[in-house]
Amino acid sequence: MNAALDYPVPYEDKDNAAFLTAWREEGKLLLQKAAEGGKPFFYPRPICPYTGSRDLVSVTASGKGRIVSYSFVLRPNHPAFNEEVPIILAEIALEEGASLLGRIICDDTGRIASGLAVELLPSAEARRYPLPAFQLRAEAE
Amino acid sequence: MKRDSQIGITGYGAAAYEKKTDRTLFSFLTEAGRNALDSAGLSFSDVDGLAISSFELPPDNTVTAAEQFGMSISWAYLGTAGSAGPVASIINSVHAIESGQATTVLCIAGDNYDVGGHFKLMDNFSRGLRNYGTPQGFGGANGLFAIIQRKHMETYGTRIEDLGRISVGQRKSARENESALLRGPMTIEDYINSRMIADPIRLYDCVLPCAGAEAVVVTSLDRAEPGKGVRVVTGYERHNHPPMEIAPLKGGWELFADKLYADAGYGPEDMDFVQLYDDYPIMVAIQLEDLGFCRKGEVSRYLADNSFDWEGTVPLNTGGGQLSCGQAGIAGGMLSVTEAVRQLRGEGGGRQVAKAERGLVAGYGMVGYGHGLASSTIILEATR
Repeated sequence: MNAALDYPVPYEDKDNAAFLTAWREEGKLLLQKAAEGGKPFFYPRPICPYTGSRDLVSVTASGKGRIVSYSFVLRPNHPAFNEEVPIILAEIALEEGASLLGRIICDDTGRIASGLAVELLPSAEARRYPLPAFQLRAEAE
Repeated sequence: MKRDSQIGITGYGAAAYEKKTDRTLFSFLTEAGRNALDSAGLSFSDVDGLAISSFELPPDNTVTAAEQFGMSISWAYLGTAGSAGPVASIINSVHAIESGQATTVLCIAGDNYDVGGHFKLMDNFSRGLRNYGTPQGFGGANGLFAIIQRKHMETYGTRIEDLGRISVGQRKSARENESALLRGPMTIEDYINSRMIADPIRLYDCVLPCAGAEAVVVTSLDRAEPGKGVRVVTGYERHNHPPMEIAPLKGGWELFADKLYADAGYGPEDMDFVQLYDDYPIMVAIQLEDLGFCRKGEVSRYLADNSFDWEGTVPLNTGGGQLSCGQAGIAGGMLSVTEAVRQLRGEGGGRQVAKAERGLVAGYGMVGYGHGLASSTIILEATR
């Protein structure tokens, strides 16, 4: 079974094609940033929301960040997710300074807490998810 | 909005809410509009401005709605601020009347959803959500507001049993409102033990999507029947604030709260009741903070120290709010206005607030990538 076929997918357009392709083909998280000033941002758009600049560059994120807050979604909107509840949906602050909403893939919700470190899923596992998905990251004591 | 403006709301009405319906959206919008005009003692031909707030209106808009209603109008307004839109439409109607664009505006808000329809709506709510929320099974508004609520709880120590006092108090008021879809008794234990939808959001934090519409007539107060006019004292709106935050613990009301109270000449403690946007108790709590009813981060104590039914220390959403009446899409942002007008006209029946002369009504909505982007507030006064 290829669950990924059943997930609703983002509508690809010229604003987000580079981001979606980088995730789909390489398991990389691309952010955008104004060529001068501002800071990296998510989600993809044709203008920097900090500077108003249309001169944008891509930044490959490390994929590392921290959980700011989260929910355990027991009633997903789309039926493709019904077998996967609870969906762990988190606000994640990336090292680069951008924040995003991301799924954390973890079988034990008891391990999830605000402040914990996360990283992108390894690219082999990442492929099934239409958007960057994360896992808990072990930190040195 | 001019100070001491003698423009206000002279009529209000609704179309009865239904959990499931085969009626059309226009059937609901016209019924609510007709009832509001009847309440004002006016007819469609007296109206020269039309404001509509409805998620389901496209491909129609305000002008094609005027065609449906058979109206010739000089001013048309289409709500774009989700459920902050109805309150915003009243602010903008006052401006239109002040500037001579219209003399009498009919403001209608409504949608015809059921639970399934609302999920589909949220999956396609905006490009940001459709592309970057829906593919993750984000759980619609429930999933997003759960993130906000958890952050508020972890940042300020806000407690579930205090947030629940909002749902419980409103339900007590709903028991006096025959139009509410949910009127069964609710205790704080019922609230706490209700099933988890998107942890920490519970079933009794959530509204019931339904079909319905609400409407008011905005015009100069000298057209009102004696004692039945409700003055629009002041009002403000704010959208996309703060920018680039996914789950902020404020919603924009804090930017204009001081101006609101300076315009009115009195403060939050002087309100005889409040109608806040209750998509979730956590957002009511944030409005109480942002609008100065308590300090930021101290709402849990405020909730514990007060009661929120129609005869409580802070009468809140005195008809039961969306949490008990049901959320007919954007009508949820007008339900608060019609209830405020009802109270200020002394027509609250079994839930009439004893001394209802001043009320505050706040709107909120248009969920973007993480939270509601739009906020609005008006202060209303009785002319009795």
